[in-house]
Amino acid sequence: MSTEKVKEAIAKILPDVETVICYQQGFDGLHTTPLFIKIPEEINGLIWNPLCVQNLTSYLPSIKKKVGIVVKGCDSRTIVQYLQEGLIDREKIVIIGVPCTGVVSVKKVLREIGHQPVAGVAFDDNGNIVVKTSKGDRTLAIADVCPDKCATCQYPTPIVYDYLAGDPIKSDKPKESVHEDIRQFDEKTLEEKKAYWEKELEKCIRCYACRNACPMCICQDSCIAETREPHWISQKLSLTEKFMFHMIHAVHLAGRCVECGECERVCPMDIPVAKLKKKINTEMKELFNYEPGVDPDGKPPMYTFNVDEVKIKEHKL
Amino acid sequence: MRVGVFICHCGNNIAGTVDVARVAAEMRKLPGVVYATNYMYTCSEPGQEEIKQAIRKEGLDRIVVAACSPRMHENTFRKTIEKAGLNRYFLEMANIREHISWIGEDKELNTNKAIEAVKMAVAKVMNNKPLYSSSFKVNKRVLVIGGGVAGMQAALDCADGGLDVVLVEKSPSIGGMMSRLDKTFPTIDCSICILGPKMVDVVQHEKIKLYAYSEIDEIKGYVGNYQIKIRKKATYVDWSKCTGCGACMEKCPTRNAYDHFNFGVATTRAINIPFPQAIPKKAKIDPEFCRQFTKGKCGVCAKICPTGAINYEMKDEIVAEDVGAIIVATGYGLFDLDKFPEYGAGRYPDVITGIQYERILNASGPTSGHILRPSDQTEPKTVVFVSCAGSRDKSLGVPYCSNFCCMYIAKQAILTKDHIPDSQSYVFYMDIRSNGKGYDEFTRRAQEEYGAKYIRGRVAKIYPKGKKMVVRGADTLLGTQVEVEADLVVLATAVISAPGAAGMAEKLHISYDTFGFYVESHPKLRPVETNTSGVYLAGACQGPKDIPASVGQGSAAASKVLSLFSKDMLESDPAIAQVNINACVGCLKCVKTCPFQAIKEEVLRNGRKVAKVIETVCAGCGVCTSTCPCGAIQLQHFTDNQLLAEVNAICQS
Repeated sequence: MSTEKVKEAIAKILPDVETVICYQQGFDGLHTTPLFIKIPEEINGLIWNPLCVQNLTSYLPSIKKKVGIVVKGCDSRTIVQYLQEGLIDREKIVIIGVPCTGVVSVKKVLREIGHQPVAGVAFDDNGNIVVKTSKGDRTLAIADVCPDKCATCQYPTPIVYDYLAGDPIKSDKPKESVHEDIRQFDEKTLEEKKAYWEKELEKCIRCYACRNACPMCICQDSCIAETREPHWISQKLSLTEKFMFHMIHAVHLAGRCVECGECERVCPMDIPVAKLKKKINTEMKELFNYEPGVDPDGKPPMYTFNVDEVKIKEHKL
Repeated sequence: MRVGVFICHCGNNIAGTVDVARVAAEMRKLPGVVYATNYMYTCSEPGQEEIKQAIRKEGLDRIVVAACSPRMHENTFRKTIEKAGLNRYFLEMANIREHISWIGEDKELNTNKAIEAVKMAVAKVMNNKPLYSSSFKVNKRVLVIGGGVAGMQAALDCADGGLDVVLVEKSPSIGGMMSRLDKTFPTIDCSICILGPKMVDVVQHEKIKLYAYSEIDEIKGYVGNYQIKIRKKATYVDWSKCTGCGACMEKCPTRNAYDHFNFGVATTRAINIPFPQAIPKKAKIDPEFCRQFTKGKCGVCAKICPTGAINYEMKDEIVAEDVGAIIVATGYGLFDLDKFPEYGAGRYPDVITGIQYERILNASGPTSGHILRPSDQTEPKTVVFVSCAGSRDKSLGVPYCSNFCCMYIAKQAILTKDHIPDSQSYVFYMDIRSNGKGYDEFTRRAQEEYGAKYIRGRVAKIYPKGKKMVVRGADTLLGTQVEVEADLVVLATAVISAPGAAGMAEKLHISYDTFGFYVESHPKLRPVETNTSGVYLAGACQGPKDIPASVGQGSAAASKVLSLFSKDMLESDPAIAQVNINACVGCLKCVKTCPFQAIKEEVLRNGRKVAKVIETVCAGCGVCTSTCPCGAIQLQHFTDNQLLAEVNAICQS
């Protein structure tokens, strides 16, 4: 299957690159962790299955040498966005694309099995994941435990790649479905929205996991959330400061968020932080007809200075 | 930190609706404020003296003046505190006049608002840092955009003052609107006879470099050092060879080319010289009409040209010029007839615009100065003038007065009577605006000596009836409907901003109003300056104006440039963007969004990429600071922390 094809591709490119970034099994069958392959012997450690959820492309901007990377369709959008923003050099990256039919949300699985220790995981041919625990096996349809992004995925095949491990897949999900959740949320009244976000953001513990996992959060140690110069927010654990942090994160991603969902995946408090960014993306689409991470030659609207925007009428003469 | 706060009464302007003593008393309670007082006129000499005294006696190191807009007196007070030994950037002004006392009547509420405004200024000034300007060299050449009468006057005055002038005109000849006019009011001087000598002076002046049929492509740089790219549009005629003999124009087989100079009253040839007195007197081809371009064959002009000047392969050429100041004199535009469906929207040939009538009256015009109506080339005996065709009409987006129509209608009525003694003119008007020297006498002469019948009222409809045009309107003085059967109707169409005025303003980084007219720095006291230093305005690009006003502004703009260039070095404004390279993550978003190309990428010795601001190019607009995700780029004197301190001052109290 794909695993063999991925291994073949890695073996082919390994002599040309410093390292290949892919996945290996983590501390239990349900968790995967990044694997950096430098020598052919390490290829055997690789795994490829619907548990390979992380967006590995986050490593790319900080790596100076030529590397290979294994990406799913959604991950490839990050690479496209990096290219648009000039954050990586296409020449220094060899992309092994893997068409993907959907991954598994570990959080959802754990919720299903009541957070028991996992003894092992298997996949059957009918699109199910079988989780072995001390209390017996539990079979779950991947479609039922996939992250929200998979349910409306438009790009199952990577947008950019040098090698494609598998046959290209076309999305069978309607395009309108992508932002359906936002449209529904928009129907709430202002008070309802305020109450919703106050309840959700109150949970935030300011661990910054969402920021650290975000591939587009390029400020790293210079993040405005932790500086005093300028001193936009303090370390006080108040709702105002939490709200401000998430607003800053969302606004910094305006027209840049590739909706990989990493922020929400890593949030220990289960805050729907991706919703904020998705909302801004709908606005960007409406205002600038722009979708991040789709066209390698595209220009992010917030990376330009145009006096006359078609949909902003202030300079109409 | 020892902050001093000075609250100005501005006579009754502020003290009338703000309790200034209470504001001062409240300020004394703030931490850091060691001195607060109120004074009748802080900007007066004793007022300034008081600030200096307080700085010395109280050892003040930060000053807040709560008074008028900083646009008025920021410079005054900066100089004041500088004289007392403080850095000029340790001054903050709170605008409690325009923002507070003038707009609210409730003294209690005004006072509370003033207290908050001054609190903000105190918070800001405590975060201010000393800034120092540097000086740079000035390139003493001036660019004049537009070769109408205002631009020519400005160019001539600058050149006579010893400056090198680059004059750019987008049409093939200088002269502008004035060169199209027949006579000028109120003296009935022949327009081209008085303008012609000026045009000749321009072209003969050794200090003036003329680019006709050229447009401004790009403007980069800042006061004292602008880099201009000028697009010399392809004329398909080598002007270095063209002698202006006109042989090509005579033989050109295309006779139906649109005549821009005559505003379409007549047609011209595909290769043409706009008018006999054109400067430069050179031919150019209109490719949209020329058979060589539309059909791919003809070549008559190339065969006929005695000097072999025709070149169908010619391309636009970009020329670079460096200048230190810019005078904008791009003139105005006029409403088209299609804006007036009730007047036929241009479908009736005998309903024309004022400027078209001007061409019909003109001896060098298409009818050689005989008044013949366009439909059948007969002499009109009844001529109706409709003033305010579009002007002062909010529904058409022109709420303003077009300034000179009342006068030129009177002139055209007089000239009509002169040309056709048995003719009768009617003028429909809203008000007669004739407030210049000798103007009112002139409009009276049109009525009393030349028998023009002035009807106060608007025209509702114009429609054809046989060979006549029926003009139906109201006579509001008699309270009746009137109908005049006219042979010719002249509409004084509204003056609007020149086509492309907004785009030009964007290139120049100057402001323009909702109508596209450029905004002067102060409507009373800085009428030819713009808010971009080094860019000045002349003529109707700033608003509708007649010839003497345009000429006056041309000279005024020239004198501004001459005084700017009287110094060899200029001081730079230190309130510009600065990068904290320790915080910069090198995403270079700022490079891409800077409207002035003032930021570039710099590679540090350790190989790290960071942004670098080119100090002399930065205009301090702040786009980069709002773009930078990590706040590494800060606009000096308006840093995030300074602004946040202001926000905190009013939100955390």
